Amino acid sequence: MVAPLLQVTGLGKRFGGLQALSEVSLSVAPGEILGLIGPNGAGKTTLFSTLVGLHRPDAGTIRLDGRDLVGLKPHKIAAAGMVKTFQNVALFLDSTVLDNVLTGGLMRHAIPEARELARRCLERVGIGAIAGKIARDLSFPERARVEVARALCTEPRVLLLDEAMAALNHAEMDAFMDLLRQLRAEGLTLVVVEHHMRAIMALCDRLVVLNFGQMIATGTPAEIARDPAVIEAYLGRSAA
Amino acid sequence: MSALSVRQALGLALLAALAIALPFAFEPRGYGIRILCLALLFAAMAQAWNIVAGLANQISLGHAAFFGIGAYTSTLLLIHFGITPWLGMMAAAVLGGLAALLISLPTMRLRGHYFALATLAFGEVMRVIGNSWGGLTGGPVGISVPFAKPNLALMQFADTRASYWLMLGALVVVTVIFVAIKRSRLGYRLRAIKENADAAEVIGVDTTRTKIVAAVISGALTAALGTLYAQFQFFFDPDTVFGVASISVRMAMIAIVGGIGTAAGPILGAFFVIPLEEIANQVFSAQAAGLSQLVFGVLLILVILVEPRGFMAIGPRIRRLLRREER
Amino acid sequence: MAVVQAILDGLMIGGVYAVISIGLTLVFGVMGIVNFAQAEFLMLGMFVAYYAWAWLGLDPLLAAPLAFAVVFLLGAALQRVLIRRVLKAPEVAQIFLTVGLLIVLENAALLMFGSGFRSVSTPYQTSSLQLGPLFISVPYLAAFAMSVASGLALWLFLKSSWFGRAMRATAQDPMAARLMGIDADRMHMLAFALGVGLTAFGGAVILPYLTASPTVGTQFAVLMFTVVVLGGLGSVAGAVVGGLAVGIIQSLSALVFPIQLQNLVLFVVFIAVLAFRPKGLLGAAR
Repeated sequence: MVAPLLQVTGLGKRFGGLQALSEVSLSVAPGEILGLIGPNGAGKTTLFSTLVGLHRPDAGTIRLDGRDLVGLKPHKIAAAGMVKTFQNVALFLDSTVLDNVLTGGLMRHAIPEARELARRCLERVGIGAIAGKIARDLSFPERARVEVARALCTEPRVLLLDEAMAALNHAEMDAFMDLLRQLRAEGLTLVVVEHHMRAIMALCDRLVVLNFGQMIATGTPAEIARDPAVIEAYLGRSAA
Repeated sequence: MSALSVRQALGLALLAALAIALPFAFEPRGYGIRILCLALLFAAMAQAWNIVAGLANQISLGHAAFFGIGAYTSTLLLIHFGITPWLGMMAAAVLGGLAALLISLPTMRLRGHYFALATLAFGEVMRVIGNSWGGLTGGPVGISVPFAKPNLALMQFADTRASYWLMLGALVVVTVIFVAIKRSRLGYRLRAIKENADAAEVIGVDTTRTKIVAAVISGALTAALGTLYAQFQFFFDPDTVFGVASISVRMAMIAIVGGIGTAAGPILGAFFVIPLEEIANQVFSAQAAGLSQLVFGVLLILVILVEPRGFMAIGPRIRRLLRREER
Repeated sequence: MAVVQAILDGLMIGGVYAVISIGLTLVFGVMGIVNFAQAEFLMLGMFVAYYAWAWLGLDPLLAAPLAFAVVFLLGAALQRVLIRRVLKAPEVAQIFLTVGLLIVLENAALLMFGSGFRSVSTPYQTSSLQLGPLFISVPYLAAFAMSVASGLALWLFLKSSWFGRAMRATAQDPMAARLMGIDADRMHMLAFALGVGLTAFGGAVILPYLTASPTVGTQFAVLMFTVVVLGGLGSVAGAVVGGLAVGIIQSLSALVFPIQLQNLVLFVVFIAVLAFRPKGLLGAAR
């Protein structure tokens, strides 16, 4: 077994009276696609925000390639190679698509190289044609893809995708999954939050299930699909 | 954002020639040219404010702090040590930059109204210090720049046209810096912060450092312009150079009226606001004190309500209307 | 004893600070806007009370409700015509709209009332009560009592009237308030009008010991911001605590520093609170 690239142990985060995350531990191997699922409010987005440094955890460690990231600001974590996309899409709305993506490239490159890289990222996610549009004028699926392109432009080692496939139709979703597999083949490690069960089952090597901020199961998609605790969490006690 | 087109370059060259030749149309020591000088100076000040407010959306109401520091620094160096204002201006820029750093460290996390309030208070702190530290500043009665025989070395001129060219040079320098920042990595980062600070951090923008760098540049430039003001007016007091209405709000207003975040906005704004104010003062001050300021306030409200992006947005708006007419 | 006396004086003026600042925090709480022109309504309140005294012979304490009413109506109109239009605008528009309003009000006052200083004379102006070794100035005490009364009236209004509850609901959750059939526009108008009206009321009750002039607002502007930021922007209870704290800080620093540096201490406190506790000393106590 290879050493994990991302290792999270005993992560806890409390907001006032709400324990948003408790004792979350997971590890992601290099080149793996890990799926993160769970009912609404299970803490998936909070976990992502904590991993990239937008929230400081109350307990636990986050190691990327052995280096502890807890307490680092988001831009330091981005520099270390971990970036997330925003579930509700957080683009620079008054800038062009190209400038949005380019800004992600500035961490490691001067403007001309960042611009080239940004164009390539846009091509990769299949939206090279809208590079000149203002982000505000885009449709929601387009915005989600710009968000992914911008994250790619930071040249991450670990990419956290928060429902990047929401609002895609079936064909688009298949194309997007192909892209993710291709990125993985090039060495990128992915953690994916997604509601589409079909997509996540087809895409991920392993799944982690969160409920009420706690991990209730982990395993291959096939194992998870049979896990009684997961079925209960999704369907409620009566169905179990 | 590529290099200028030939047409743009020609246009700029023509504009530069006009700007340099303009004083010959005025009486060398007259009132008109003084207004032009002030318009140029305030355009440069608004441009310096624009770096932080226009690019990063950090709305400062306290830039008078840096301006006053600049005015006092060079003047005191000249009075006490006979140091030429040219060097004094450098010292002013350094101190202005330091002051910006000092106020940035605790306030950079603040956004929106909170940042505006904190900077407002900082400007007021400097005004109170200016008024109460009489031993240094001369206190509320003000301070005079020692008058020498006009010479370039002491930045004093018999001919107001020389001041005009100095102010014009200052405006060009500040505008070039603004444009360079806007097109640089710093500019992209500032815009990212303005549009979504969390997203900017997550994709690797050090938002705190970026804002501080911009604030220091803006503060340093504003202080250097304070020196030019002192050398132009020869007399000033804390309530003027550290004033909220006289400096901080006026700088901001000029940029807003012209078009916040754009390079041409502050220049358009200054050449509209400053002459208007002077004319209003000339016409009304005899009958009614306050009327010209009232006009100033009404104008600010109108711009905010009608077109908060200022004059710069009116051109495209008219063009869009015309295009619709054609169809 | 000087310290106790200073604290007592501070409490007296602090009560007034609380009432004049409640409007600022109310408007921020309900609309998310800092009204930079708030102190100008204090100035207007002072002038209403002054003219009521000069023309009608009314004591400023009795004219305070009149000041409230006049400025309340003005505030409702301003909200309708100006403030309403920038509620969804970028912050820079919100900030400079009220800054513009500040400039207009101050200079309109200069045009209408002239630049002179105006003060009233009342029979109790110089009298004071003795409490053992301590003195309480009667005009201070009167202003304090009036402030407490108006503060209590506001509290009762917010607590028990339908309008008050609806206003608080709008502040807490505009969406839910709308679903409950509350007209947000009307609530904003009410909040703004009440806020500036209260500030004007405060202006009237301090007229017995302060002179009115068109520029008097600038003396109070940063002070009012300090009060609300200390207590937490948006929190009415915080404004009361903040007001008393600012009054005490001000009168205690007068023991140590020369008069012109009094405000300096306040500004430094203000910046420090913004920097380290931007939600106010009471934290999230709204």
